Formats: sequence, structure tokens, C-alpha cells
Amino acid sequence: MQGQAIQIIHAYKQAPWRVQRQYVGAFLLVVIVLALVAALYLDVTARAAVAGREIQELRFEITTIQRSNADLETELANLTSTAVMQQRALELGYRPVKPGELDYISVPGFVTPEPAILLAAEDAQLHSQALPMEYTQSLLEWVDERIKFGGVQ
Amino acid sequence: MRQQYAIRSWVLAVGLAIVGLAVIVQMIRIQNSEQAKIFLSQGDLYAGEFNTIYPERGEIYDRNGHLLAGNRTVYEVGVSLNDMEDPEALAYILGTYLGLTYEDVYNKLIDSPESWEYVVIQDYVGAETVTSLQQLAQQLDDADDESLHGLGFKPHFQRSYPENNLASNVLGFVTRDGRGYFGIEEKYNDLLAGNPVQVWIPRDPNKAAEIPRVPNGTSLVLTLNRDLQAKVENILDQSLTEYGAKNGTIIVMDPRNGDILAMATTPRMNLNNYADYFVLYDNGSQYNRAVGMAYEAGSVVKVLTMAAALDSGTVVPSTSFVDTGSIQVGGITIQNWDRQPWGQQDMVGCLQHSLNVCMAWIATQMGTQTFYSYMDRFGLGHRTGVDLADEAMGRLKVPGDSDWYSVDLGTNAFGQGVSVTPLQMLTAVSAVANGGHMVTPHVLYSMLRDSHQYNVPAQYAGSPISAQTAKTLSEMLAISLEQESSGALLPGYRVAGKTGTAQIPTDYGYDPNHTNASFVGWGPVDDPQFMIYVWLQEPSTSIWGSQTAAPVFSVVAEQTVITLNIPPDVVRNQFGSR
Repeated sequence: MQGQAIQIIHAYKQAPWRVQRQYVGAFLLVVIVLALVAALYLDVTARAAVAGREIQELRFEITTIQRSNADLETELANLTSTAVMQQRALELGYRPVKPGELDYISVPGFVTPEPAILLAAEDAQLHSQALPMEYTQSLLEWVDERIKFGGVQ
Repeated sequence: MRQQYAIRSWVLAVGLAIVGLAVIVQMIRIQNSEQAKIFLSQGDLYAGEFNTIYPERGEIYDRNGHLLAGNRTVYEVGVSLNDMEDPEALAYILGTYLGLTYEDVYNKLIDSPESWEYVVIQDYVGAETVTSLQQLAQQLDDADDESLHGLGFKPHFQRSYPENNLASNVLGFVTRDGRGYFGIEEKYNDLLAGNPVQVWIPRDPNKAAEIPRVPNGTSLVLTLNRDLQAKVENILDQSLTEYGAKNGTIIVMDPRNGDILAMATTPRMNLNNYADYFVLYDNGSQYNRAVGMAYEAGSVVKVLTMAAALDSGTVVPSTSFVDTGSIQVGGITIQNWDRQPWGQQDMVGCLQHSLNVCMAWIATQMGTQTFYSYMDRFGLGHRTGVDLADEAMGRLKVPGDSDWYSVDLGTNAFGQGVSVTPLQMLTAVSAVANGGHMVTPHVLYSMLRDSHQYNVPAQYAGSPISAQTAKTLSEMLAISLEQESSGALLPGYRVAGKTGTAQIPTDYGYDPNHTNASFVGWGPVDDPQFMIYVWLQEPSTSIWGSQTAAPVFSVVAEQTVITLNIPPDVVRNQFGSR
């Protein structure tokens, strides 16, 4: 009876080398998964680094352009200053008008213009919006957040 | 045998595990040691840097959008001492391009303290010079020449005034430390400068933390009309030459809302060279005489005396007064400007001939309390509240003051013993030009911030007289100008106004040889759209305001109606009747 039982166990028990292979397989599976996660993490990190660098460069570019705008506006004002415009007018043959030389015309519905609204002259400053979390969050931070908030933000 | 191998394996495994564990324990211990904290904090120092971001200073425009004060990029030129390869070459090149001596630059490069990593050679270097230096550095770099290694340029803004001298007395200036002095630049310095923000900028691009947006300083739109300002300054300069005056002031204001359209004074400075301030001015009150310098304006104050008398019911235009050439007030004899009697006069005649005796009589008829109450309501002795820095208050002695005497009632009535700024006087008289309502003069029209424009509403400083009094007095003053064929008259336009000729008080009494000539006027009388104040200091061709300040008023008024497109009265009435 006992001999029969041993025979049955031997018949169904896997060979030792097969068990070892299963352990090795499981171990390798874990290693591969970890390698995949690491590769993914590296990829995301690299992309975030590139995006961050691009953001830094864009900021620098914005600053440079704003400086350039200010310089150009001042230069334009220099070129159209009162003294320059008067000189140019005189060179073109104009002279100051005298009161008797003016004709006034009544234009029905005309309203004397109010001082100019200068929004166009004002630099429309960039309203930088908050960067999406995807650009600032590391993988670990993302996992941490998912664990803490259960995927609900 | 097999069991022996097993034991050895276990011993080896346990040994390695102990070593591994020891390594881990040591790692944890080191990580949490005091030294580790120090190293970590040192590491944080290199992880980024705190930067103070200074916003671009707000710009200043005239009411039509012409830029009066802007910004331009200049550079700080410096050398990174750790990257420097050839100090001799740097000293030679920088000395040549920046106008410095070789020794100065070389000593800066060599004698800098060891702890320094960067040394500034020169700041506020123009873009052209920097571009040349950058091109040279690039050429040398391309040729693998390291002579200029370490050279660096840090851009920043500098205030720039495209119109140079124009409205310098109104604008003020900004020094290199970024602070505004005088005028608008000082009064609105906080708004214009904005709020600097200190931010931590990490070097790790993974920590691309958002740098907060630093809004520019608020830009300002002024009530000034650039073209009119230029014309008025030109007229003022010509007037000083024509009448031999030492200095002068002209203000043009809209009496309906207190908008200052032009404000010219002398001397003016090129705001791009603010060091000239110390050459041109002895003290701050001279910078903008229109608001900073009080003086005895003389007979222009008679407008206020007459306004008070009419409004209080003391006199009416037809009230008769027999001028005997003198009057006793407080035991002191007061005489006319020509020391002559003018006989029987009505109130228009008193204004037309600018009779001191008549005005002193009116003041005595009003009584001390009534007279000074009105003068107080006209704002004499008080600041107008104009939005310009360094406004003077003037002085009106009143009963109860230690230096007030009874005679002051009579002399104050014709403008002696009362010190006012030109803008104070213009503000007070605005009650007459504006139907009894006195305006608060202002230079700021609106503010621009974050793409929004905030207009500044007009403010009123009370109604010292009734609308009827204002209308009556305007008519009286217009008639008085017309009857004397004043030099202030402007063909085609009916104007009202009053001259003033005032002796100049000194420590030894009144200067017998010099005067201040003034004129205050407005027009068109039936619909006042401009007020003008003229003050010429010590004119030498004539001491009289009627022969100096009055004609200047006329010229300024002519340019004002042209610039502001105000048609002649006839045309305007034709348009109005349609």
C-alpha cells in the first residue's frame, strides 16, 4: 500500500530540475518587469528633462523678445519725437498753421475723440498658465498620488 | 561530502549576508549622520539659485499715446574670473571698447578678492558697444583664441526719454538705482516700478518649477498733450528772450475737469542726462516752478477778492466806488499801482484798472472773517493735491497768526503778502471759469496694467462761489480786457482774464526794481475749454504784466485753440445753432 502511494507521488511530482527552472523563470520575469519599469521611468524622466529645458529656453526667449519690444518701442518714439517730426515737416516744406487759415466743418454726429485707449500700445503680457502635472511630476510622485488619492484628483 | 559543501555554502551565504547587511546599515547611518545633513545642505546650494526678477518699469505716454518715458536695454559687462584665460588681453580690449584705462581694468581683474568669481568692469553699456564686443569675442572664439574667455554681458533696462527735454519738469527722472525723482516718476514711483519678485530657479530641468509671472510696472497715460506742450515750451523760451525774464512758467489746463494739458517751466533738463540736475538747479523747488515755487502773484488775486465780494453780496458789478488814490487800512496807507486817484469807478473799472485802493476797500466792506473764509475756500495756503511730487503749499496769513496785522486784510485783497504757486492760483480761479466748481488739477489720465485701462475720474475741490457769481465775474473780466484793448485778447475768441504785477519781497522790504509778471485767463468765455496761467520772473523790457505776461497769454491761447481744434466763437455758435 505504502509502495503504491510512493509510486503515485513519483508519477505526479515534477522533476527537481523542472521546479528549479520554474523558480528561475519567475525570477527572470520579475527582473524583466523591473527592467521594463526602469526603462519606462528613464524614458519619462528624459522627456521631462527635455521639456524642462525647452521651457527654460522659451522663457529666456520671451525675456529677450520683451527686451527687444521695449527697445523697438523706444527707438520708434525717438524717430517720431516732436523735434524730429517738426524738422522733417519743415524739410518737406510745411510751416505752422495760422488761425485764419483754418476752416472748420460741422460733421453731424461727430463726437470729439476722447484720449486714445492705449491697450494696443501696451505689451500684451503673456499669461503663463500653470504647467500640467504631466510635465512636472515624476513617475514615483504619480504612483504616490494614485495610492493616496485612489486615482481621483 | 555533499553535506560539507552545503554547510560551506550556508556559511558563505550568511557571511555575505552579514557583509551586505553591514553595508546597508552603514549606508543608513551615513545618510542620517550630522555630516550628511551638512553635505545635503551644501548640495542644495548648487541645485539652483535665488534670482530677484525686477519688472520692467512702466512706461509713460501723453494723452494721445506718444511715448514720453520708456525703457531700453543696456548691459553690465563683467568677467568670470574662473574662466578668465588672458587678463592682459581682456584689459586691453575692454579698456579700448569701454573707454577705460588698461591699468584700471587689469587691476580689477588681478586684484579682486580670491572669493570673487565675477567682477563687474562697467555697467550701463550701450547695445552697440556690446554688440561689437560680442562679435569680436565670437571671431576670436572661432579662431580658437581664448583671449576673451570669461567675458560676460548681463542685460537690464535703463529709463529712456525719447523727447529729451520735453516736459522734463512734469516727468521727473529715474536714477540708476531705479528710483524716481520729481514729477510723475517720483509721485507714482511705486506703481511704475512694480513689485520685484525673488524666485528659486532650480538647475535640474526635471524640477522645471514654474517661474511666477512678474508683471511689468504700471504704465501711465498723462493728460499732457505732447504737441501743445512742445509749443508752450517754445513760446516760453521765446518770451524769456523777448521780455528779458529770468525764468518763466506757463500752465494750460482744462477748467472742466482739471486736466493739465501743458505745463512748461524753465530751466528744463535733458532727462537722459539726469546728472545735469545738479548743474541747473540750486534746490528741488526750482525743478518745477509751477507747483514747487510759491511767490507773491499780485493783482491776479483780485479775481478772487472780487469773486468773494460778489458772492457774499458785498458788491454788484455796478457798485460805485470813488477812488481817491489811497485808503487807510489798519493804520497804514494803501495806494494804487500808479499812486494816482482814478475817481468814480464801478467794479468793472476797478478790475480793468487794477485798483489796489478799490480792492482794499472791498475787503474792508466784506470784513475779515468773510474775506479769509473765501480765500480759504479758494484753497490759498493749501496744496492743490496735484499728482506731482514736491508741491509747495504757499502761505496765506490769517487773523490769529503771529505775523498777521490789520493792514494785511487790505494788502492781501490785491495780492500782496499772499504767496501762491502758479498751479494754486490757476486752481482757485478755475472756480470762476467752471461755473463755481473748483477742479483738482491732475496729470494722470489713466493707468495701464495687465492689459486693462483704468481711467482716473475728475475730482472737484468744492464750490467756493455760486454759478451766477462765476458767470458775472467772467463777464466783468472779459469786458475789462476788451475795454482796455489788452494784449491778452485773441481775435475770434472771447477770453476773460486778469494781469498781475507784483513787487518781489526781500529781507529788506520789496525790491523796487524787479517784479513778477503774471496773467490768468480762460476762454471761450461762454464755454471755457482752456485756462492759461503765465508767470514771467523779473522781466526786464517792462515790469508790467499787461505788457509782458498778457501778450504771452494771447500767443499761448492761439496755439491752444489750434491744437485743441477749438473753432472761433462765430463758427462755434453757427455749429451750435444747427
